[in-house]
Amino acid sequence: MSTYSDASGAIMPLPKARRATGFGGVVPALAFVAIFFIAPVAVLLLRSVLEPVPGLGNYAQLIGSATYLKIFANTFIVSGLVTVISLLIGFPVAWALAIMPGRLTSVIFAILLLSMWTNLLARTYAWMVLLQRTGLINKMLIGMGLIDKPLALVNNLTGVTIGMTYIMLPFIILPLYGVIKKIDPSTLQAAALCGANRWQCLTRVLLPLAMPGMAAGALMVFVMSLGYFVTPSLLGGTANMMLAELIAQFVQSLVNWGMGGAAALVLLVVTLSLYAVQLRFVGNQNPGGR
Amino acid sequence: MLLNFDRLGWWKYMLLTITVLTAAFLLLPIVFIAALSFGSSQWLIFPPPGWTFQWYSELFADPRWLESAWTSFKIAVIVTILSVLLGLVTSFGLVRGSFLFRDALKALFLTPMILPVVVLAVALYAFFLRIGLGGTLVGFVISHLVLALPFSILSISSALEGFDKSIEDAAVLCGASPLEAKIRVTLPAISHGLFSAAVFSFLTSWDEVVVAIFMSSPTLQTLPVKVWATLRQDLTPVVAAASTLLILLTIILMALVAVVRKVLKQ
Repeated sequence: MSTYSDASGAIMPLPKARRATGFGGVVPALAFVAIFFIAPVAVLLLRSVLEPVPGLGNYAQLIGSATYLKIFANTFIVSGLVTVISLLIGFPVAWALAIMPGRLTSVIFAILLLSMWTNLLARTYAWMVLLQRTGLINKMLIGMGLIDKPLALVNNLTGVTIGMTYIMLPFIILPLYGVIKKIDPSTLQAAALCGANRWQCLTRVLLPLAMPGMAAGALMVFVMSLGYFVTPSLLGGTANMMLAELIAQFVQSLVNWGMGGAAALVLLVVTLSLYAVQLRFVGNQNPGGR
Repeated sequence: MLLNFDRLGWWKYMLLTITVLTAAFLLLPIVFIAALSFGSSQWLIFPPPGWTFQWYSELFADPRWLESAWTSFKIAVIVTILSVLLGLVTSFGLVRGSFLFRDALKALFLTPMILPVVVLAVALYAFFLRIGLGGTLVGFVISHLVLALPFSILSISSALEGFDKSIEDAAVLCGASPLEAKIRVTLPAISHGLFSAAVFSFLTSWDEVVVAIFMSSPTLQTLPVKVWATLRQDLTPVVAAASTLLILLTIILMALVAVVRKVLKQ
């Protein structure tokens, strides 16, 4: 019989609820995840301190080089910009969706879902074409007389920021919508009755009440952006790398597993600690997408 | 006040403008690609000088496009079946079982969802090179299953949590075997969860590109890898044609999901 000792050292039978039932069901998945997820990732991270020689040499090299530091800076700047812009656009849209008449809302929702579900490469390809020198965006800006010469909108971080904001917008609008929808309208009525003007209602009541949703959405978008690979490589060009591309490059073109593992560990640690912050302070939100 | 659309005053028009502009922004690339795929300009000039089906015929004339689409489809179907089966067994364990670290285990199963895919791609690439699964169908299926399984576990366990187990017990009391009760009572009741799991698993595999780039070989590549490789060379309108078909597939799937959900929920 399974037993355990309590603080006084007396042997007590294990409480019935503690006995494992139904564990058999999770064994296949656990084995699968252990072999094809945990073990390979662990080995990759281990190689960062073992190859080419044991020690922290790879990390020293990663921090010591201006090239790599610029890539870290790129990654954080783009992710930060994408987060801020998505939040600035996403808040009014989520707000409008929460209070607009039903029919208009469902049209906007359909567009949101369509854009989210459309193949990532198809969307990125569209932006590659739209943003090029002779592309539609430049033509429109010239046509409106806003610029004389076409702007360089692609193969730089501007292109990456536009393309990533496009992808991330639904991920901030949907959770924010959920939060604003749940706010009791009478709270705002009460504020108005007590003499608050519209601006005060917004900044002192609505924004603070929506804050948990904003924080959760922003954190999720920021973390997802940090690890993005496809959009930065296609819209950023080779001169403007981000962290995920660096990892891929170490492994694929340079066959330097030590450095690849080190860069992967940095990305992983930042990602997981930000998720820990999210779980601790803003509660659980289901992420998704790539 | 602020949460009453009709009493917003001029703020209403500001909110509406931002929302409509955002919706246009979200719709723009999708409509643009579809229009471009019928445009006659090799250089993707817009608006196009004329209209043509040339890019579609080039797409269908090139066996490599069809082959990669077929590979993608095969992998996605196998991944879907395995993901739903494994997700179902696991969800029963997670929802009905009681054992130490159950919540921790569930969190572990969902981790591949939040982990940057590139880390998984590189890690599996190294592992599969060593055990000889690199560039094989099995390698593709395994790596996509890692990514699809969390979605499957999430949808099936939430359906199972919403199902009252006493109905299943009643079937057993009425003489059904436990397995029979599960198959004939519980499974139909959670079919909407199984359906979501299948759709998410299929799309996860079908659209996945990062892991696929590392898994593919010159002789075996999925459709997204083919698109990726083509895009790195030039912006040919053939990709617009391929993308338009992918968008069409998305719309069909979305409609299907909406219809099936409605039917299953009744």
